[in-house]
Amino acid sequence: MPGFDFSNYNRNAALHARGVPLPKATSTGTTIVGCIYEGGVVIAADTRATSGPIVADKNCEKLHYIASNIWCAGAGTAADTEFTTALISSQLELHALSTGRKARVVTCMTMLKQHLFRYQGHIGAYLVVAGVDPTGTHLFTVHAHGSTDKLPYVTMGSGSLAAMSVFETQWKASLTRDEAVKLCADAIEAGIWNDLGSGSNVDVAVITADKTTLMRNYIKPNERTQKLRSYAFPKGTTAVLNEKIIRKADLGNFVSVHELTEENDDKMEVDT
Amino acid sequence: MSSPFSINGGACVAMVGKDCVAIACDLRLGLQALTVSNNFPKVFQYGDNVFLGLTGLATDVSTVSDLFRYKVNMYRLREERHIAPRTFANLVSSSLYERRFGPYFVSPVVAGLDPTTGAPFICGFDSIGCIDFAKDFIVSGTATEQLFGMCESLWEPDLGPDALFETISQSLLNAVDRDALSGWGAHVYIIEKDKVTKRLLKGRQD
Amino acid sequence: MADRYSFSLTTFSPSGKLVQIEYALNAVNQGVTALGIKATNGIVLATEKKSSSPLADPSSLAKISLITPNIGMVYSGMGPDYRVLVDRARKVSHTGYKRIYNEYPPTRILVQDVARVMQEATQSGGVRPYGVSLLVAGWDEGVLPEEELEKAKLAKQAAAGAGVGAGQGEEEGEGSKLSDKTGGILKGGPMLYQVDPSGSYFPWKATAIGKSATTAKTFLEKRYTEGLELEDAVHIALLTLKETIEGEMNGETIEIGIVGAPADHLLGVEGVEGAVGPRFRKLTPQEIEDYLTNL
Repeated sequence: MPGFDFSNYNRNAALHARGVPLPKATSTGTTIVGCIYEGGVVIAADTRATSGPIVADKNCEKLHYIASNIWCAGAGTAADTEFTTALISSQLELHALSTGRKARVVTCMTMLKQHLFRYQGHIGAYLVVAGVDPTGTHLFTVHAHGSTDKLPYVTMGSGSLAAMSVFETQWKASLTRDEAVKLCADAIEAGIWNDLGSGSNVDVAVITADKTTLMRNYIKPNERTQKLRSYAFPKGTTAVLNEKIIRKADLGNFVSVHELTEENDDKMEVDT
Repeated sequence: MSSPFSINGGACVAMVGKDCVAIACDLRLGLQALTVSNNFPKVFQYGDNVFLGLTGLATDVSTVSDLFRYKVNMYRLREERHIAPRTFANLVSSSLYERRFGPYFVSPVVAGLDPTTGAPFICGFDSIGCIDFAKDFIVSGTATEQLFGMCESLWEPDLGPDALFETISQSLLNAVDRDALSGWGAHVYIIEKDKVTKRLLKGRQD
Repeated sequence: MADRYSFSLTTFSPSGKLVQIEYALNAVNQGVTALGIKATNGIVLATEKKSSSPLADPSSLAKISLITPNIGMVYSGMGPDYRVLVDRARKVSHTGYKRIYNEYPPTRILVQDVARVMQEATQSGGVRPYGVSLLVAGWDEGVLPEEELEKAKLAKQAAAGAGVGAGQGEEEGEGSKLSDKTGGILKGGPMLYQVDPSGSYFPWKATAIGKSATTAKTFLEKRYTEGLELEDAVHIALLTLKETIEGEMNGETIEIGIVGAPADHLLGVEGVEGAVGPRFRKLTPQEIEDYLTNL
């Protein structure tokens, strides 16, 4: 798993050899951070997705569910972070069901790194893995080539330097929950303002031994101002050459069952 | 050689309205600067209210639209129900990601209404299946940048079916007029709870 | 040799019977009784947890299993075969469905997948049929039965109203009538299926499998009423078990799984949009004791 299909590979490689550029994948330029505190761990992310210089999604979700007690923040190729975390989440759920125990964060991290190492960096997922399990609170980073780190506070993505500057100046041992959330949100904001690949809002997740609290759009420092004027066009502005209305009732169902009435003359002939 | 996404040209846009959604595409098929056809629709219907718009390399547009026709028909036979837009979006996403290392050169757009709640649903994808869930509009094709500008300025929340039609049509028509590779007429679908209205728009033929 | 080719052990007898399947059914009919009852707002699965020795640790034994958050399963017959099927069912619900559609399979789809696994064991080379019958209980998202009736009624009224204006009331009336004929569309609510070693499966309102299936089914026929609530169903399940049970009835010897309202307290997360708790859960020995004292 996953069974990738390479049947277009040769065609695309031949095109590329003739100078055709590779397709532009949506990337999460991204600032993502994580920070351990007394009693849990906080991860946070911005919400901008980019395709080259274009902002593809102004409010995307970069905090991924792995298990109720393990969450991941993802940077890099958006599709890769999405599918890699979904795959490991699925494998971990089956693992938890067959062992009858809650999944551990190290298990998740090991599965992620083995998967990414197998693909030699071609799966461009850069992840912050955080969670709480019976062995304690954990925070890791996993790079696309399969290397991992274990630290009390981490940053990743194009805004990682901006975010790290906040941690390096303000982090202290033994933070409270609220201090950790504030620190992470400030680090993300540093990315939002100072890194062009990051922007829009701050998402935060707090993982503790008994539950995970996701705070989607915890800070919204870039709300669109209300338009002062409506640009709605009057009906009939657009020239229409042809119009066809398909009513649901006319469509019927994929199988149409017609009941024949009793007084129907031409009855079907059936062998007796 | 140019990007496979801009050999044939084409544009597609989807928008959310009040209890309705709209999806529209241009009709051009070209070979770089040479226009081959002005009747190449890029929006496909997969059930009562599930629509897929595909821009990109025309050969892949045909292949992918047929592939999803097959997959949706198999789903309907197996499950004895129509596929919901959100389920379909996830099917598109996983099917594209399966070809992560040899992708189809397409940028899909899904639009529809949830069959149980009637809530509008639209989303877009990159060529390897990353979903962009949007609450307002989704654009794709060679006129992406023009469409982004048009939609950002014209779209507003809670547009009724008629107002939504004018907004999406004007956004598309004016965007493709500034893209040499798109245009030559347009199809616009307005999807409501109990009816779908398909309109053919008059566009510049140059 | 063996991995190059082998012959099916399940072959037709001259009279047209597959005796291996009949033997598998015999194994099922020697198994501990399990039963399932469908209510309007949920389902109950129940069975006896029988240990061969008083020295066995009953808390390590489990016969009712969670397959997906909304689907649970119980068996009669051979325990080891059941565990294989549980693993396969869980796995196929991910590989064949969740990793494609990002949602869990509806009950019937899961039942079909498990039934396919069981059928393949009756036609493949070198294998024997599974010696179990299963009861699969699940809740499907979609239009609930009572909502469907109401909707059909409303649609008929709307069609009649629109008919005056649009002049095509006949057509639309036909349309809404067709939709409740074909049935499968968007049908939600509680689902209860039985799967047999042959790979055939049946939907039930209430049924039993195993040693005392006949007695239990006769009892259920008498006790089952339409419009049953989940609480009543659990009650009836315990009464039925009481008829057939050999040992003592307590929280340690009875196992109950229910499909009911979403248990959001089991979710473990808050603030996730659209997250719903699992509907399937097993009752704790204490909860079973409480039901037994109120019997």
